[in-house]
Amino acid sequence: MTPPPPRFFQLLAHLSAAPVDREPILGDLQEEFEERCDRDPADARRWYRRQVLGSLGPNLRRRARLVRNRHRGHTQGDGMMGSFWQNVRYAARAARHDIAFTSVVILTLGLGIGANSTIFSAVYGLVLHPFPFPEPDRIVGVGTAFPQLGQSLRFIEHMSPAEWEDIRDQSRTLEDVVAWDMGNRQIDTEGPPQNVFTGFWWGDALRTLGMDAHLGRGFTDEEVERGDAVALLSYRAWRDRFGADSTMVGSSLLINGNPHTLVGILPEGVLLYGMDLWTVLPARPSMWPRNRRQFQVLARIRDGVTQEEVNAELEGMARQTEIAHGGEFEEYRGWSQVAMTWNAVNSQLFRTGLFIVMGAVGFVLLLVCANTANLLLARAQKRRREMAVRTAMGAGRGRLVSQLLTESVLLSTLGGVLGVGLAILGARGVRDLLARLSLPVAGTVEVNTPVLVVTAAVAVAAGIVFGLVPAFQASATELGSTLQSEGRASTATASRQRLQRSLVALEVALAFVLLAGGAYLVNSFVRMSRVDPGFEVDNLLTMRLTLPREKYAGEAVPAFFQELTDRLRAVPGIRSAAAGTQFPTVAFSFRELWFDGREASADETLPVALATVVTPGYFETLGMRLLSGRTFETSDQAGTPRVAVLNEAAARRYLPGEDPVGRRLKIGGPDADAPWWEIVGVVASTRNRGLDENPFPEVYAVHDQVGGTQNQLFLLLRTDADPRSLLPAVRSVVTEMDADQPVYAIRTVNEAFAGAASTRRATTLLLTIFGVFALILAAVGIYSVVSFTVNERTQEIGVRIALGAEGTQVRRLVVRQALVPVLVGAVVGAGLAVPLGMGLRGLLFGIGVADPVTLASAAAVLVGAAVMASWIPARRASRMDPVEALRME
Amino acid sequence: MGKGEFLGEFEQVVLLAVASLDGNGYGLGIRREIERRTGRSVTVGSVYATLARLEEKGLASSREGEPSPRRGGRARRHFRIRPAGIRALRASRGMLDSMWEGIDFGPSPESAEGHS
Repeated sequence: MTPPPPRFFQLLAHLSAAPVDREPILGDLQEEFEERCDRDPADARRWYRRQVLGSLGPNLRRRARLVRNRHRGHTQGDGMMGSFWQNVRYAARAARHDIAFTSVVILTLGLGIGANSTIFSAVYGLVLHPFPFPEPDRIVGVGTAFPQLGQSLRFIEHMSPAEWEDIRDQSRTLEDVVAWDMGNRQIDTEGPPQNVFTGFWWGDALRTLGMDAHLGRGFTDEEVERGDAVALLSYRAWRDRFGADSTMVGSSLLINGNPHTLVGILPEGVLLYGMDLWTVLPARPSMWPRNRRQFQVLARIRDGVTQEEVNAELEGMARQTEIAHGGEFEEYRGWSQVAMTWNAVNSQLFRTGLFIVMGAVGFVLLLVCANTANLLLARAQKRRREMAVRTAMGAGRGRLVSQLLTESVLLSTLGGVLGVGLAILGARGVRDLLARLSLPVAGTVEVNTPVLVVTAAVAVAAGIVFGLVPAFQASATELGSTLQSEGRASTATASRQRLQRSLVALEVALAFVLLAGGAYLVNSFVRMSRVDPGFEVDNLLTMRLTLPREKYAGEAVPAFFQELTDRLRAVPGIRSAAAGTQFPTVAFSFRELWFDGREASADETLPVALATVVTPGYFETLGMRLLSGRTFETSDQAGTPRVAVLNEAAARRYLPGEDPVGRRLKIGGPDADAPWWEIVGVVASTRNRGLDENPFPEVYAVHDQVGGTQNQLFLLLRTDADPRSLLPAVRSVVTEMDADQPVYAIRTVNEAFAGAASTRRATTLLLTIFGVFALILAAVGIYSVVSFTVNERTQEIGVRIALGAEGTQVRRLVVRQALVPVLVGAVVGAGLAVPLGMGLRGLLFGIGVADPVTLASAAAVLVGAAVMASWIPARRASRMDPVEALRME
Repeated sequence: MGKGEFLGEFEQVVLLAVASLDGNGYGLGIRREIERRTGRSVTVGSVYATLARLEEKGLASSREGEPSPRRGGRARRHFRIRPAGIRALRASRGMLDSMWEGIDFGPSPESAEGHS
């Protein structure tokens, strides 16, 4: 039994053949194919493919003739579609004609369009559709800003239970207002225990989101009210960690050893801050002081209410709170609470970075267009006779323009097809990158219909943009002069050369902007990695402990931490251990300071500092340097005089020119009843609010002297080797002291730093890649224009050489002329780079957008590339044989 | 002289193949005949495109044949040369002959090179 002919090629033959010829052609092919199969099936298939491919041209020509014959007699000229297909045919022929040119154009266009599509797919999935909520505009997070604490608007660990209750109980514009705290939990399974990032909820957030559980149900009001041990799993955790076992729902789940009922599975894509496990928070809101801000708030805008109305109401409530509690809590002065859609809240983090990259790829595409226009111009010159002949035969200007535009749109469409392929790869790369970053959004980055539509639009638009200039230029060719001579020095030539030079200048300007952008970011990145954080970041493990107030109160709290750190210090591999309410770069607790001897003035804003409660050994564990006085000792206890340590930033800013040691201060403001603290030492500042922020003033107090209110501390462990390897030992020490006590938020400081820098790193990497790509494109553009000019000037250069010009002189002449538009472009680019660089400001570190060194280095790289690109044709020119050159016509 | 009375080179080749098969030629046979005689490989598409042009000019005619299972149930299309086709071939040959008259390049360059 003979195998059938290759299916695809059979289809191709079917589609390409004119309908009237289909039957005999396919029949002939099959008949001979079967004969050949009897001899050699593989060869038969090869033959079949060759036949079909070779028939494509004749088949299409035959079809075109049929179309033309049909039109003949109906209309005088060609019909719209007829002329369109004719244009396409011409275009395909022209593209085949110059395969090198076509591949360069399609490749660069593909890269440019592919980069745009990739970034757009990221914007679509991460910014425009980050969550699958049915009514995303109604789902809001409520953030807070406390100017008194130097805290701008934030939506994570920013609200206290009392503040949440105010909104829940009083708001008429919001409904289903829920709040949650976050931490790590361990799920015990038959295999190894699973560590999961967990949310502890007050309320049923699924109702807020307007969604049903994927399986089972959300929390009921009664469960929330009673604080039942119930849990929900994220779709991804359920699928990836528990094999999508639907029998799990309703069964018991051991969370940190405590049985919980798994009541449901969250819908896919409902992933808030990456929490894979939701449980009900059993503690009552009243257990937290009003200024303990570690919660997040999510709410639903009531039907028919606008976001503006919500924010007007929240503002009114904030002012009431200021009146009611401003006396007790200074930070309420001028504070605000703002509702923002959850989509916007979560895309904030990387929005800037993505939009910068989107701008950059837009520039890359413009550059590709300019480059293509330039190549087309050079090629149009070769085809000017063809154009002149067509004009002479009566083709109108419109016809020529439309033909040339068809050619360029055909090129950009092919580039678009390549671009889609690259975008599919690019989107996969972005997905892999995101998987490692754990961004707070759940949208998927993929090449979907909207991305394809945008890509198609971009491709066609690009084709028109880069095709328009050469199309009009070519169609304006003067008929007479072209046909008579080779059109040397005609006005058309002069205007074309002007155009080519302007395009080179444009390319250089665009490349300059991209290079400068990349250089700014690389520069910032290098500077940032050189920043001294003020402490030793390696081999530092941190985790958080919250002692339940029912169990630990007063003295018991510091005593627990004291004993815990003592025991941990004895663990082999742990060099030192301490605890503190915050550590660099985790900073959230700010207080006002009042220095003894200061004149009170009513409208003076009090100095603000990070107020950190620590155990003795904190500075030593972090590796902070002592500048004067002493640090805390174990003898600083509840009964002994209260002592405080300042960092250098606080000492310099608030006690300039004085020796702080021995001075007294009040933490929290000039309250008459508040105790005085004596400053006993000054330590070197750390980058306590992030590597890219200057050190913030900080005051330290010792845990023993603050008492039991500080029940939530970070453990800090300095280890000899890999910090993670000590985790089991640490857990067992904690369990020995209190079997029910969980530790969470386990991270090494290095991991925390890498996470914080990930957006910056990705943006830097991408912009650098685009900058290099832009540089290559600009070099290609310069090279093509210079070699073209050299060809045009062959005779003139020949005369020069014949008259005794040296090779160096000729090379210098060519390169010098090439550099004029490059320098113009560099100046324009530098002018553009400064205002456009403003968009990067948020990512810059240690340099400004007008940084002369960065701009100069970008210029140097570009000019260097330009010299190299023009050197090759220049050398060719200088080696020209003058006799040959002069003979050339 | 109208356009329709000129024959292109490939048109001559195809028409001659049709003539040599004496009315029994269909697409496949014509193509093979050309390949056999010229030693050049020819695609089915180009043969049909040319045959269609010859038909339009009234130099050849075609008729549908019987479908056959070897061809996936598709019919053959048979071609026959028409008197106008014979006239056109003669005219082409006469034109070439008269151009060749009195011209002698000696032995063909390929064979000359081959022996040197």
